Amino acid sequence: MKNALENRALFRRAFVDSLPVLMGYSTMGFVAGVLLAAKGNVVLAPIWALLSSALWVTGTMSIAGVQPISERAPLYAFALMTLAVNFRYCLYGFSLLKRWKDVPFLRKCYLILMLTDENYALEASCVIRDPGRNLRYCTCLSVLNHSYWVVGLTVGASVVCLLGLTVDPEAIRRYTNGMEFSMAALFIVILTDQVRGILSHGR
Amino acid sequence: MGDEILYMLGVIAVGFTVNFGLRALPFVLFGGRDRRIPTWIDRTSGFISPVIIAGLIVYSYSGSAWRTPWPYLAGIVTIALQVWKRNPLVSIVAGTAIYMLLLNCCGCATARTVELDAAHPSVRVSTQGVLFGDEFVEPKDVPEILEDFDVPHERTIHILLDPDVKDLRPARFLMATLSRAGYTRPVLVTKRHAESVNIGKPKKTVYSGSGRQGAASQKRTIRYKKAGE
Repeated sequence: MKNALENRALFRRAFVDSLPVLMGYSTMGFVAGVLLAAKGNVVLAPIWALLSSALWVTGTMSIAGVQPISERAPLYAFALMTLAVNFRYCLYGFSLLKRWKDVPFLRKCYLILMLTDENYALEASCVIRDPGRNLRYCTCLSVLNHSYWVVGLTVGASVVCLLGLTVDPEAIRRYTNGMEFSMAALFIVILTDQVRGILSHGR
Repeated sequence: MGDEILYMLGVIAVGFTVNFGLRALPFVLFGGRDRRIPTWIDRTSGFISPVIIAGLIVYSYSGSAWRTPWPYLAGIVTIALQVWKRNPLVSIVAGTAIYMLLLNCCGCATARTVELDAAHPSVRVSTQGVLFGDEFVEPKDVPEILEDFDVPHERTIHILLDPDVKDLRPARFLMATLSRAGYTRPVLVTKRHAESVNIGKPKKTVYSGSGRQGAASQKRTIRYKKAGE
């Protein structure tokens, strides 16, 4: 009983922390989905939107990758582009090595898959000391952020396909113009807290 | 159809492999149960994440209108709120709202871009007069406008000459004005030339006035606003 209550509290905490990501991911994902369906020159776009959002979980490539897909670029070129664009991802794991040392294999794989910019920033700044609770918090956060991204992209691609409209990605971009700042603001807030932590720790 | 699906499956698989591989790299290198995590990682891991996050701030700023003061103002508000109230959601929502407000209400002048390639000349001489983008301008003002867009003086400036223009005096006047203002390479091009360049998929160079924001949406209709308008 106590455990269930604690889990609910952890989930609520993760949800509140993920709200800024919800703002960014749903709009960015929607735009990426619309782009893929409208400009990607592919059949069954919603399925590709679903698969790519679930398995890649990268905003940059979901948007930047539409152009090479529409031109049917060779797979090795696509791999090189992903490598260049997302090279930063290989740095994130270092600060989490110790914390996730004893996490079971499959769960660790899922947490690693979800090392996106925003998710990493929230996980790295998590102050929960207890390893078990910290891990549950990270998992909740990953699942929530993953779902925002997958839903955003799939809905975006489906809207274009099902309604048969050519939703102009530019129009959406105009209405949500500036909303991408929520990501920068999230990073700023996290850095502010970290700097404050370091300052008070050093004193 | 079969090929299409195979190609997309390949793209998904490649994207997954590279992204997941990059993310898993540290764990593969140092994550084995029996392997010890090197002490340098242990010692620096406390500082790795602030440094990465600082990098992410720079990275996300590069995607915003970083040439305008708005993202910095919004950033200062975000920091101030966070120091004062310590409520991340409030700081983030307020910072984003202020940024969107500033960008969309005061930032009209930020979404200005100009293209000067032979394939997409922004300056055009028609029978009615000189156009910049799709607005008529005084020929004598053109150097000043280019100045506003930070177009370097040594840049070749393509000026499209409409085929039905018989009177070449405005065009000549424009060329002379440009050279007098220090633009060393103004070039007149005809429509046929512009189209022939267009075939070979030209590399577009876009100069923006004071922000990258909205550059894509402004490509079709280039508007120029004078300061204080």
